Amino acid sequence: MRTSEEELRALMMSGLDGNAGDHAALLRALVPLLTGFYRRRSPDSDIDDLVQETLIAVHTRRGTYDRARPFTAWLFAIARYKMIDHFRRGRGMVPMEGLEEILVIEGFEDASGARLDVDQLLETLPDKQARMIRATRIDGLSTAEAAERERIGESDVKVSVHRGLKMLIARVQGGSR
Amino acid sequence: MNTEQLIAELSRDVPRVPPGAIGRRLAIGLALGLAVSGILVVFGLGVRPDLGTAMHGFSFWMKWSYTISLSLVAIGATATLARPDAGRARWLWLTAIPVALLALVGVGELIRTPQTEWLKMWLGHSWTVCPWIVLALSMPIFVGLLWSFRTLAPTRLRAAGAVAGLAAGAFAASVYCLHCPEVSAIFVLTWYSLGIVLAASVGALVGPRLMRW
Repeated sequence: MRTSEEELRALMMSGLDGNAGDHAALLRALVPLLTGFYRRRSPDSDIDDLVQETLIAVHTRRGTYDRARPFTAWLFAIARYKMIDHFRRGRGMVPMEGLEEILVIEGFEDASGARLDVDQLLETLPDKQARMIRATRIDGLSTAEAAERERIGESDVKVSVHRGLKMLIARVQGGSR
Repeated sequence: MNTEQLIAELSRDVPRVPPGAIGRRLAIGLALGLAVSGILVVFGLGVRPDLGTAMHGFSFWMKWSYTISLSLVAIGATATLARPDAGRARWLWLTAIPVALLALVGVGELIRTPQTEWLKMWLGHSWTVCPWIVLALSMPIFVGLLWSFRTLAPTRLRAAGAVAGLAAGAFAASVYCLHCPEVSAIFVLTWYSLGIVLAASVGALVGPRLMRW
């Protein structure tokens, strides 16, 4: 059952005058109001917690109610503040939906960026050295496998990779591509 | 704890709250802070020796009217922002009136003074320390107001912090008038105001952190 502004205000005034019974009646009447308020605005959060926090605030800060002003405006100002404060405090622990997807996408960007760089660098090398580096360092073949695939000697692979890497290092350190 | 238990617990202690509780609470915090700042001025900096004669002169009252009127507007705005349902503190614009009046006095001074004296008049003897002293003297008052706010309910914390800082700065400047012998309006307009604005900035900076409830 909803209590009207006038009834709430009368209870509040009486509570401010020291009437504990009316104060309790006021807090009890606020529970459905606040529950509705929070359910409409933040259906996912812990509504009982918010309602209780707000009741405590209404009790401890009741001195800030100005008897000449509307009660519900005061009440909902507190409720709104408590809701924002609640979110702010919980922000460090909010589970993020779709976090894995975000991470995967971010990883993809990094990886593709790195691949672009490597491709650009390898293009500057003689074709054979580039192919050998790609085979052993990027595709992950062993020296023997690479030698077999390219039909050249293992030592040829090693020498090509070694020279190519040396040249790449010089390029990167020299800053030119 | 379920809600019914909580309500029973809270309703056990329902003291009477007389009207005007916000004002009283702020007044106590303000008075405590003012007492500390006053002691610092009287026993630390020292009251200006010619205070008795100065109080018969124009410039002392010019300074005091400026700082005290700023103080009153700022503390009024502070009381407004201590309520959760406070709207915008629109009448904070009233602070423009003392500023404008003091600026007028300043223009009058400049017209009467030869141009070669302007810089000396503007910097006075103490422009390097004046803003910092005002800021330092505002801190006890600001702390007093923060204490007041512990049972109040501001919902716009940065604004509440700023006006509380503004009030603290303006009251601190009023106390500092007991020591400071500077006489020119443009000095007060610049260096006193700078100290007051610094205090307000500190308030705006720490308000969201220290006024949470």
